[in-house]
Amino acid sequence: MKPLKNSCIAVLVFVVSLPGYHAFCQPAAKGRLTVALSYVAVNDKLPYLVARAKTKINGRFRPVGGVTLNLYLTDDSSGHLIGEVVTNDKGEASVLIPPALRQEWDRSMKHTFLIRFRGNGDFGPADGDLTVARAKIRVDTLAGRKISATVLEWKDSGWAPVKGVDVAIAIRRLDSWLNVNQTATFTTDSTGSAQADFKRDSIPGDEKGNIVLVAKVDDNDNYGSLLQEMTVPWGSKFTGENAFAQRTLFATRNKAPVWLLITAYTIVICVWGVLGFLAVNLVKIRNSAV
Amino acid sequence: MENIQSTAEEHTIRDLLPQKFGKWGKRFTVFLVLVCLLGAYAYYRQLRYGLVVTAMRDYASWGIYISNFVFFVAISLVGSLITAVFRLLNVGWSKPLTRIAEVIAVAAIIFAALIIIVDMGRPERFYHLFLYGRVQSPIIWDVIVITTYFFISLLLLYYPLLPDLKILLRFKERSSPGLQKFYRFIGSFWKGTREQVRLSDRAISILCVTIVPVAFSIHTVTSWLFATTYRPGWDSTNFGAYFIAGAFLVGAGSVTIAMYVFRKAYHLEKYITDDHFDKMGKIVVLLALVYLYFNLNEFLTPVFKMKKSEAGYLRDLLTGDFSGVFWFAILTGMILPIIVLLFRKGRRPLPVFIVGIMVVVGAWLKRYLIVTPTLLNPFLPMRNVPESYHRYFPSWEEWAIAFGSLAGCLLVITLLVRIFPIIPIQETLTEQYEAVEK
Amino acid sequence: MLTALLAAGAAAGCHSGESAFPAAAGSEVQPSGKKVKLLSVDGEIVEVDQAFLKPVPHLPPLSNTEERLGIPGKKFVMVIDLSRCKNLRKCQEACNHAHELNPGQNWVKVYPMQDAEHTAPYWEPTTCMHCDEPPCVKVCPVDATFKRQDGIVLIDSDRCIGCRFCMAACPYSTRVFNWSAPEIPAEKAKQPYSCETSMPQKKGTVGKCDFCADMTRKGELPHCVTACPNGTFLFGDMNEDTVTNGSETFRFSDLIRDKAGYRLMEDLGTKPSVYYLPPVDRNFPFQSGEEEDSIQKKS
Repeated sequence: MKPLKNSCIAVLVFVVSLPGYHAFCQPAAKGRLTVALSYVAVNDKLPYLVARAKTKINGRFRPVGGVTLNLYLTDDSSGHLIGEVVTNDKGEASVLIPPALRQEWDRSMKHTFLIRFRGNGDFGPADGDLTVARAKIRVDTLAGRKISATVLEWKDSGWAPVKGVDVAIAIRRLDSWLNVNQTATFTTDSTGSAQADFKRDSIPGDEKGNIVLVAKVDDNDNYGSLLQEMTVPWGSKFTGENAFAQRTLFATRNKAPVWLLITAYTIVICVWGVLGFLAVNLVKIRNSAV
Repeated sequence: MENIQSTAEEHTIRDLLPQKFGKWGKRFTVFLVLVCLLGAYAYYRQLRYGLVVTAMRDYASWGIYISNFVFFVAISLVGSLITAVFRLLNVGWSKPLTRIAEVIAVAAIIFAALIIIVDMGRPERFYHLFLYGRVQSPIIWDVIVITTYFFISLLLLYYPLLPDLKILLRFKERSSPGLQKFYRFIGSFWKGTREQVRLSDRAISILCVTIVPVAFSIHTVTSWLFATTYRPGWDSTNFGAYFIAGAFLVGAGSVTIAMYVFRKAYHLEKYITDDHFDKMGKIVVLLALVYLYFNLNEFLTPVFKMKKSEAGYLRDLLTGDFSGVFWFAILTGMILPIIVLLFRKGRRPLPVFIVGIMVVVGAWLKRYLIVTPTLLNPFLPMRNVPESYHRYFPSWEEWAIAFGSLAGCLLVITLLVRIFPIIPIQETLTEQYEAVEK
Repeated sequence: MLTALLAAGAAAGCHSGESAFPAAAGSEVQPSGKKVKLLSVDGEIVEVDQAFLKPVPHLPPLSNTEERLGIPGKKFVMVIDLSRCKNLRKCQEACNHAHELNPGQNWVKVYPMQDAEHTAPYWEPTTCMHCDEPPCVKVCPVDATFKRQDGIVLIDSDRCIGCRFCMAACPYSTRVFNWSAPEIPAEKAKQPYSCETSMPQKKGTVGKCDFCADMTRKGELPHCVTACPNGTFLFGDMNEDTVTNGSETFRFSDLIRDKAGYRLMEDLGTKPSVYYLPPVDRNFPFQSGEEEDSIQKKS
């Protein structure tokens, strides 16, 4: 009896612990999401934040799309919510600062932005932050084809120059910026400016020879990204020339070379003219039998 | 006198009228139909799965469909040679062979067009060639000349056929009612009046003059499909003349085969005599020597230079992967025919027939050698492709379709020979009449 | 709500507020009249029309005629720095993935080259050369492949009849053929074909590198350019005299002159749009590319 009772208890314990067994199973490991913020202030336009989400796969970071991120100003209370965004397939999302946070914005000259990710089925929660001081960049030209870029910071209700910021001075191109000379970046001096000589002579511009100069700060730890552009007529005039509209052997059927058209049509018309004549001849033969 | 003449005439006519298929004729036709059906099934598979059923891949992107195409275009030139050139040169002995030549030409040009459609990746878009055709493209030139040549060959078949149709209609008992209806439809208006004969003779003369440049252009333009590219082996200024020389040779070879087969099958020994074989043999020797000369030019000078871009291709042909086929083709296609046919004994019917077969087989292999070795020796190394792309040997579907097209061509020839007299009857009668007059 | 507001064209890296190209006809943003209040950098409240804050509206698909014309005033050019290529073939991966090519098809090919017995071995990536006198375009019988005014040579897979003459004519072996039906899902295969994306590929037609014409129209770099970890590919507009690989930007004429750039098979007269910089001062020995090969063959 006792062995049977013992085995019954054993079975019961086993059956009861089965659900608990699942609880002991390791849950599927969630990925680790890395979130980051950038602050971009462009050309006196509205500044915006760019939130990025990425995760490490096989030792390389890959962007993650479709995750919902919350951005806050100063702290993560609901009153300080800047916005809730969903990353696109490049793992990025942008948002502008809403006027509702004006008070918080004016409270200090440094702004702390917080990014919070609550976690979803694939990833555990993550967060990040960024502190920037209000700053702007100015670009100007000087005599002798020099360009100066000035970085100013908002200090004590006034704009003060900032020293030691890396500034890039370049020309805007299709999908890139071309440095105005061999040096990639310049550091601002005590007056907050950096100067560069324009060495890209005869760089093609538009039809009037205009090019767009740009001074920018890329993802600075204190100030975020700043950019300002300026159009100057320092480029060479662009004259578009290509063989697209000409009659060539590699053009479309409408633009075949004239000599080819004449040759081809003449031959075809002559030979098919003969064929036509022979067909008419057949009709004549038929008729002459009558 | 009249009676003897008319009896002799009747005798000739009865000899030359199309004959029903004998046992072997029927078996041969059934065999051809089976081969065509197999080819059709292979083509169905190609339409369903795409050109992947062939062995062509990104490097050997043209294969035996294109070599078959060139082969057919080459053979179709025989019409202009035997019919037009000889007629213009007033060569008398070739008159019995003109119909054979035209029939082969028409059949070959039809299948040249068909095999090109088979080679297309999107055959349902064939009409794009006419709707969107670019006159700058050599393919469009090829389409124009092939269409033109087809109609000229058809006319050159039709015009001399008209007097024979009258004879066919006269001998009702020798053809079925259906055939009689067909003959009436296409030629009952021919009465043989002086006016009609005059118009017809004039038309034939004009056709003969016109067909020669068109025939030259058809094969020159086909050769330009290769010569307008940069590839080694194709980048040759010689290609037009080289191809035409080859075309005349294979055309003459195919005529000798047809001559022999029809002579035997239809007992035409009186009309296709040993002398015809002797003379055709001489023609084949001449053409083979000319083609050999062009081959020498085509290969000797590049071998002398051994340019880097051509070295791989030349080595492949002369000593490498393709050397077996290459030397076999040269031997059987040119050298052996020349040797055999230089002797009188070699110009008897049976040797000429065998040499004709050798010439045609050699020619087909030469066309294969024109297409594939060049494509397998590109400028940049063959890389970043699956292993199978480095080679080319046709798949069974390709062989089935290629042989299907050849069988189809033979089928058209057989059919035309069944319904039309293989030797022009009226011309033969006229010749006999003139001979008697003398 | 505010979550719906995104700065126009605010993809990271695009610091200017506007696209580099004039928007396609018919898609210019019209002011909606509804204003929204936002905070400027100075702490001021500014009013902006809501329409300008929407993401760039989904541009209507380009017509076939527009795709055949191309972008006026541009002439795209690529520079490949042979001293940087290590046969990693990330370019191939990215291109094949972006265009959903069949296995065995590679629009970007990387060749091990050695011009002569004693000259330097190097890895040579090739794309379509987008020649200025393209032999493939010359021979196409139906205008299925064409050269645009911005220099790009594209293929119209709705026009192609699959004659493969262009493949025979191209000396750079850059064209591939869809011998079988492409392995893409049925819904994608039913989409209308766009010459600029070269998708969806179709059975029985030819395919080749298209300089990612859809990306360049948006002002972005082709996939191979951004995929290469060594920055081997540089892409740009010759009319702006600038090429970039995403992180480095050079003046094209200076680069070619200073580094003795050249084009492949110049003597054929095809006038390619892809320039090569000789493998001088290699970043990696040639053999490290061979190791990559054996690694990739095993994986």
